[in-house]
Amino acid sequence: MSARDEGTRTAGDGAVPVLSAEGLTVRFGEKTALSDVSIEIPRGSTVSIIGPAGSGKTTLLRSFNRMNEVIPGSSQAGTIRFAGGDLHSAAMDPAEVRRRIGMVFEDAALFPGSVFDNLAFGLQARGEEGDLHGIAEVALQAVGLWSEDAEILEARASDLSAEERRRMCIARTLALEPDVLLVDEPTSTLDPAAAARVESLIHALRDDYTIVFATCDHTQAGRLSDLTAYLDSGRLLEYGPTQTLFTNPRNPRTEFYLTGRLQ
Amino acid sequence: MTAFRSSAGAPPTDPRERLMGGLLLGCTALAAAAAAAVIGALGLETVRFFADVPLSQFLADLAWTPSAEEPGFGILPLLAGTAQIAGGATVMALPVALVLAVFLEFYAGKRTASVMNAAVAALGSVPAVVYGYFALNFVTPALKGVWPGLEAFNGISACLVVGLMILPTIVVLSREALGAVPRSILRQAVALGATRERAVLRLALPAAWLGVLGSVVLAMTRAVGETMIVTLAAGNPTGVSWNPLEGVRTLTSFLAQASMGDLAPGSIEYGACFAVAAVLLLLTFGMHALGRALVSRGHPDGPGGSRS
Repeated sequence: MSARDEGTRTAGDGAVPVLSAEGLTVRFGEKTALSDVSIEIPRGSTVSIIGPAGSGKTTLLRSFNRMNEVIPGSSQAGTIRFAGGDLHSAAMDPAEVRRRIGMVFEDAALFPGSVFDNLAFGLQARGEEGDLHGIAEVALQAVGLWSEDAEILEARASDLSAEERRRMCIARTLALEPDVLLVDEPTSTLDPAAAARVESLIHALRDDYTIVFATCDHTQAGRLSDLTAYLDSGRLLEYGPTQTLFTNPRNPRTEFYLTGRLQ
Repeated sequence: MTAFRSSAGAPPTDPRERLMGGLLLGCTALAAAAAAAVIGALGLETVRFFADVPLSQFLADLAWTPSAEEPGFGILPLLAGTAQIAGGATVMALPVALVLAVFLEFYAGKRTASVMNAAVAALGSVPAVVYGYFALNFVTPALKGVWPGLEAFNGISACLVVGLMILPTIVVLSREALGAVPRSILRQAVALGATRERAVLRLALPAAWLGVLGSVVLAMTRAVGETMIVTLAAGNPTGVSWNPLEGVRTLTSFLAQASMGDLAPGSIEYGACFAVAAVLLLLTFGMHALGRALVSRGHPDGPGGSRS
């Protein structure tokens, strides 16, 4: 941690950051999606990113596993460090980065075929030669989709319910045993009961993973996260312990957002 | 759509609207009448032909020589020729077209894609007779350098050039099928540590395969109906040969040749042309319907799709 700490960019507690961004600016063509964002994600913490639509929440998540660079016309300034190394250094294989920093997107993108095919895809891409069924079983158990008869493996992914799809997408990422889990809008498009169940799944995963998630629902951020970052028009306006940020926001815009008065 | 239908259900009161409705109905009726006339004329002569030549002979004879002393009325030789040309052309066009479609859809930059698209579209707008001359006067002499035994009229030259002609159909329609694969799937694949090549080969192509198959069937339909190139490049031999270095006679090239001669209406040769034309129509109509069905089923929004 740097000495010129401004409070907005660190979590305090002296925890070791597993991921950190320094002066991160991301542009898509002429449009600036993120502007000079500096943030540290302590290992083992759960961090929520909140903010109005279009504030750069997804872009920030995607920059953590180098998914912005696959978009034509994107450009980036600043540095991101992962486990002490520069995320964009030549020594970092982007595919390896994406396995270690797994991301679950907002829309459940199903691969054609069975649930097993979906889980095996990333493992096969890694060149995994071990017991794919065993790995899939562990991952499905972790998201509560496993049953003794193993029938789920043969189910067509497109036959799953919205909630099951979301769980399967999380399992697909967990199968690669990532260090960090990025989740974009974990419960959007789910009905309230399913949303509550998926939320408790995320809650259970907090013990095993460093989690960064973006959400439009700031009450969800309050329930799930240790730290909350408030993004506004691509700028990180406030970052700190969730409880502090919710009860005593320093930036008036944060307060406006949280109380629904943001113009 | 529903709103449009329900409003169209009530009879319009505005006289201009009624006039417009009448005009549209008239145009539709005209088109339907034209189609009915073609099918009717074809059907009538075909039925007359089959009064003289039994269907069993038509399907089982191994020679198509309607003007010979001992005429043969077997459709199989012509079908075999058509299958050779359409199959050969597809085999030549498919690999190139598929690589092009994948490249244009997933790899080419905007400028490259638009230039190559224009080039592919240009291939599709060349008149068939120009292709035919190209086959006869450029491709065949060039191939003769490789196979000195090549006949002046041969199947391989026709296959190559028909393949060139149907290439745009496969490229454009396969690209559409690939483009309809949700981008979120490919993005998710990359996010799981897959290379783009893996995402394209393992996910996009399998997801689009029905549409690709449909594009191939539609391209083959064009090849089956192609007349000018085959007539000019493959000649019109009466025998059946599976040797691509020799000439080939297809349904279409027979029709082109026969209609240039003077056949007496009512003669059996005259009827034979209609029977061949009927077979050609059935074949292309069926293939076209199949191709269209595959293309629309292959689309993720279609009934066979897997939209997530």
